Amino acid sequence: MPELLIRNGYVFDPLNGIEGEGMDVAVKDGKIVERVGRKARVLDASGMTVMPGGVDIHSHIAGSKANCARMMRPEDHSRDPEVKTKYARSGVGHTIPSVFTTGYRYARMGYTTVFEPATPPLTTRHTHEELNDIPIIDKGCFPLFGNNWFVMEYVKQGRIEELAAYVAWMLEATKGYAIKIVNPGGIEAWRWGRNLRHLDDTVPNFDVTPREIVKALCQVNKLLDLPHAVHIHPNGLSEPGNYQTTLDTMECARDFRREGRPAMHVTHVQFTGRKGWSWADVRSGAPEIADYVNTHDHVTIDPGQLIFTNVTWMTADGPAMFALFKLAKTKWFNADVESETGAGIVSATYKKSNYINAMQWGIALELALLVKDPWKIYLTTDHPNGGPFTSYPRVISWLVSNHARQKLIDKINKTAKRRLNLPGIDREYSLYEIATITRAATAKSLGLECKGHLGLGADADIAIYDIDPTKLDPAREYRIVRRAFAHAAYTLKEGRIVVKKGEVVRSVRGRTFWTKPKVSEDIKKTMMADLQSKFDDYYTVRMANYPIEERYLTASQAITTNAGV
Amino acid sequence: MPKATLQDVLCTFCASGCDNLEITYDGRIIDSARNGCAISVSRFTTSDKSRLLKPLVRKAGKLRPTTFARAVDRAARILNNAKYPLLYGWSQTSCEAISKGIELTELVGGLIDNTTTSCHGPTILGVQDAGEATSTLGEIRHSADLVIYWGCNPVHSHPRHTNRFTVFSKGRFRKTRKDRKLIVVDVRQTDTAKLADRFIQVQPNGDYELLTALRTAINGEQIEQETIAGVPVETVEEIADMMMECEFGALFFGLGLTMTAGKHRNTEAALALVKDLNFVTKFVIVPMRGWFNVAGANEVSTWQTGYPYAVDLTQGYPRFNPGDTSAIDAITRGEVDAALVVASDPVSHFPREAVKHLLKIPIIVLEPKRTPTSEAAEVVIPSAILGVEAAGTIYRIDGVALEAKKVIDPPIGVRPDVETLDTIIRRVKKLGARR
Amino acid sequence: MADLAITPVRQFKIPVTAECISPDFVAGKSLRETELTQVWEGNRKVKLGSLFKVAGEIGRTPNDCAIKIAGNVSAVRRIGYEMSGGSIQINGEAGMYLGERMKAGTITVTGNAGSWLGTQMRGGQIDVKGNAGDSIGGSVRGGTKGMRGGTITIHGDCGTEAGAWMQNGMIRVRGACDLYAGIHMKNGTIVVERGCQGRVGAQMTGGKVIVLGNAGGVLPSFQFEEIRERAKAGDEKIPGPFYVFSGDVNEGGKGQLFARVSDNPDLKLNERYLER
Repeated sequence: MPELLIRNGYVFDPLNGIEGEGMDVAVKDGKIVERVGRKARVLDASGMTVMPGGVDIHSHIAGSKANCARMMRPEDHSRDPEVKTKYARSGVGHTIPSVFTTGYRYARMGYTTVFEPATPPLTTRHTHEELNDIPIIDKGCFPLFGNNWFVMEYVKQGRIEELAAYVAWMLEATKGYAIKIVNPGGIEAWRWGRNLRHLDDTVPNFDVTPREIVKALCQVNKLLDLPHAVHIHPNGLSEPGNYQTTLDTMECARDFRREGRPAMHVTHVQFTGRKGWSWADVRSGAPEIADYVNTHDHVTIDPGQLIFTNVTWMTADGPAMFALFKLAKTKWFNADVESETGAGIVSATYKKSNYINAMQWGIALELALLVKDPWKIYLTTDHPNGGPFTSYPRVISWLVSNHARQKLIDKINKTAKRRLNLPGIDREYSLYEIATITRAATAKSLGLECKGHLGLGADADIAIYDIDPTKLDPAREYRIVRRAFAHAAYTLKEGRIVVKKGEVVRSVRGRTFWTKPKVSEDIKKTMMADLQSKFDDYYTVRMANYPIEERYLTASQAITTNAGV
Repeated sequence: MPKATLQDVLCTFCASGCDNLEITYDGRIIDSARNGCAISVSRFTTSDKSRLLKPLVRKAGKLRPTTFARAVDRAARILNNAKYPLLYGWSQTSCEAISKGIELTELVGGLIDNTTTSCHGPTILGVQDAGEATSTLGEIRHSADLVIYWGCNPVHSHPRHTNRFTVFSKGRFRKTRKDRKLIVVDVRQTDTAKLADRFIQVQPNGDYELLTALRTAINGEQIEQETIAGVPVETVEEIADMMMECEFGALFFGLGLTMTAGKHRNTEAALALVKDLNFVTKFVIVPMRGWFNVAGANEVSTWQTGYPYAVDLTQGYPRFNPGDTSAIDAITRGEVDAALVVASDPVSHFPREAVKHLLKIPIIVLEPKRTPTSEAAEVVIPSAILGVEAAGTIYRIDGVALEAKKVIDPPIGVRPDVETLDTIIRRVKKLGARR
Repeated sequence: MADLAITPVRQFKIPVTAECISPDFVAGKSLRETELTQVWEGNRKVKLGSLFKVAGEIGRTPNDCAIKIAGNVSAVRRIGYEMSGGSIQINGEAGMYLGERMKAGTITVTGNAGSWLGTQMRGGQIDVKGNAGDSIGGSVRGGTKGMRGGTITIHGDCGTEAGAWMQNGMIRVRGACDLYAGIHMKNGTIVVERGCQGRVGAQMTGGKVIVLGNAGGVLPSFQFEEIRERAKAGDEKIPGPFYVFSGDVNEGGKGQLFARVSDNPDLKLNERYLER
């Protein structure tokens, strides 16, 4: 690969402490290097901002529930088609883009790595088929464990080492990246049309509690030394007063911190950060949650920012979706997955005039503004639940400009405006902090050492935005910020220019990251015997056909860890 | 050559996805196929005398053997010259091949449609209006104490369905036949109906009324008619009660709903019925997909274009509107001017009016054996049989993806579809594709 | 009114998509510009002028434009797309999606029209002397919003699902309707003069369907209300008497189905529900 020199840009590289310094970035063979030769191609980034490529830690872009949503919502697609170009395949999709469009739209915003945060292990072969087809970005997926029969049985028996061996086997079998938990125990209750609300409720027929499941999996995460924390969507999604459940869930992980690395990441907290007793009375639980995050090091969060637009709710949390469907009265899709988990999909529209929607919007921003350390909070919209990922530039504009926020606050439901803390918060994010929450911190949280920074040896995934930080005041000129982040001047993937002036000029194949924890042979043998004895009873596929071979991934990137079992 | 045995082989006939077959083979001959149904045995062991072994091209009115390169070239030219080509079939080939098919369709600017269009297309259209409450098949095996087969006959169409997933299966919470009740709704007493605890005979084309009446009863409203589609209102109310009182119900339906008067409104009514039931108890609905990878055709098409079938890529972006962009309709109106058919036999299965028009245009066929469609073609390229001679991914009835294995080599010169399509794509690009 | 004659030069087999055949598109353009406009013929982009003879005058605003098409344009899609004024007259057969998202103006067709006529129409008048296809005045796939204003008149018969997801406006069918007239209707009025195949008003939540001729039965999700002497359709009072049903109860609907007594002896049994 030819050498490349990105000249004269203002570099923001929080992982290496570089804050808008005017400097050159040298690229060779897809990596950041110290210097390149005189024959290197030069990319003039004068007057522009240079950042590592964006890393999105939580976005529902691939797999069976994403595809069911696509199939169910042709009206979402017909309003937003993408015409084929010389470099890009055609596609569609406002809230649930088709796969080619997904990759291109991320790249256009300067994002180069995205993780699908919830995949049922049994259908993860499907997830990988879609991930393979998403162009440009590097990716991975988080298999679901919180309602898995083997998991719950091991938890009940207190057999943590076997549980760890099982999780290790599952990560390799599914080519998954991290442990994901959604509504622990609640989706198993949904088998019978029920749900679980609190951490100490009992899972029917399994006699374990969500608290036990969560703690056990946090312990496993530590034992296996997985690169990411346990990624969790707590019980009680959307229920008034659920902020307490979120805090209780965070407490579960307290003992499982690893040297300077959090044990738990709580996702889309806007949906689980509500105070109040009823729908009419929803209040913001953001101050309490932010306070907890500010005073504890074992947990990180992302807000799942809401955007006032038409959205698609899509989650493994089947029972929560049914509850929301009963309110929204639109289309509802549900798919339970044998012995493992479920999925629910509902179409919805968020309105400024709606009290609850306005509160949700406000709660998400409050979380982002009240958590002090940008290394603990990441930019997400829980795509497509809060809003399409193409809204990230808009969210950035709200974070960097109090004026932009206040303009919208004036338009939202008046009662919400009164009850939110947001109108009184004037904090404004700097570009450095934006770089942190959209790439540096997320890469660090995921344990991806080659991503999210521009230090030597990092992957040359680079985003160049048309913002001159020496001349621009983001708070006042937030529209420029928004436009710049929506249409990257350049996006580079492993040193190759894929986007120029917001348009795709080259399509490349990204890699799929997955983890491969190595456990001892003895414990593995014990666990496999358990698995083999029960597999045919639990599943309608053969155990030999369940694991996904590495050759299935177009470009596989395994991360091995040495487990403490 | 020594005999070898392969375990846990997936059968590629119906969409049940039985993957526990044991195949014994000797070089290029398969000796036995165990653990599956009778159809699977014939799928693996019968050597088909109508097997296509060489590429063919029509010359002076007759199909004559040719080289692969020439056949590909002719196919590429036909597609490149067409103004409204249709690429059709797809339900009996791999997802990898379907992906190539979509790429090819976009390249030449055509329509891509699969057999859903004349089978469960109405199901998908129903889902697009009503949504769907469903589950994977194992959930039903574990939990269902009430099973309903409506307008389908699994004893014949999916022979192991009742053993593996429903009334004769063993689940965690339902261990014997006695733990479950079976209701069958059909226009006549089928072999599946003979297994039922209750058989409801519905008048032909009366399913919509019956589903609506069930909904009315379940929603606690008064039905003002005495019989509905030939079923007495008392029976309707009894069935509604059975549905509401179960712990976990599962409704399976087939062409009896999708292909009778009402079509996608029938399926919408069934989907809405199950949705209503979820307010009272736990209930799921599962369509009985026919061909082993028709669900896969829908999946790949949806994630790549946004739409599950009847996709129009002629104007450079995907459009979807069955009735307009669907194969049979477009052909019947005389709009299609060339066709590529993969693993399907539309000349035998399409309505007569459509076949009349189909026979007037150049057809390219990728197919393992001789069919009336291949006999009418301009270009024929033989296919390796997926799951026997070629590997690839398929999707089962409930959307679970599985890998079909390659057991033996195909006959010499016969290729998997994914390879053939890839070669056609490269040839189309070389000749200078439209876009 | 400036008359613009757009005449097909031949019978089209390959579908043509020509949204530009609409007063809003041509208004203010020259004949030459109109001829050079690109349209789709199958997968090829061609000039409008290669498929149609374009002659006459073009008005400066949509309201000044009167487009006249003489010939069979049944393969031409999306004529009159989003028009906001003026008129289109088709002397011949019309294709699919005619008048989709129309806001104002008039469209008349002397022959038959295709399916999806007046999809998501917001205002204006469409008048078809012959038959029409399926889903007239309806919504897009997966959508829940059908026409919300304007009037569609079909002098012949129409296909299934007339007025699907209708939000408001008026549809008059002087002939007969196939199954599902008024399905998922929310508001508005549909009048059918020569009967329906059946399943009228399925899943409706509001609005009314008035059927002269046999209605093809009533769904079990409808409840008999009363007999009324007349049925109101816009300003008109159509003489009955009518059996009046309300539904669809499964959608919590307050829609109304009027079936003329004299044409629906199969509904006579409902009279037992009348209060004595």
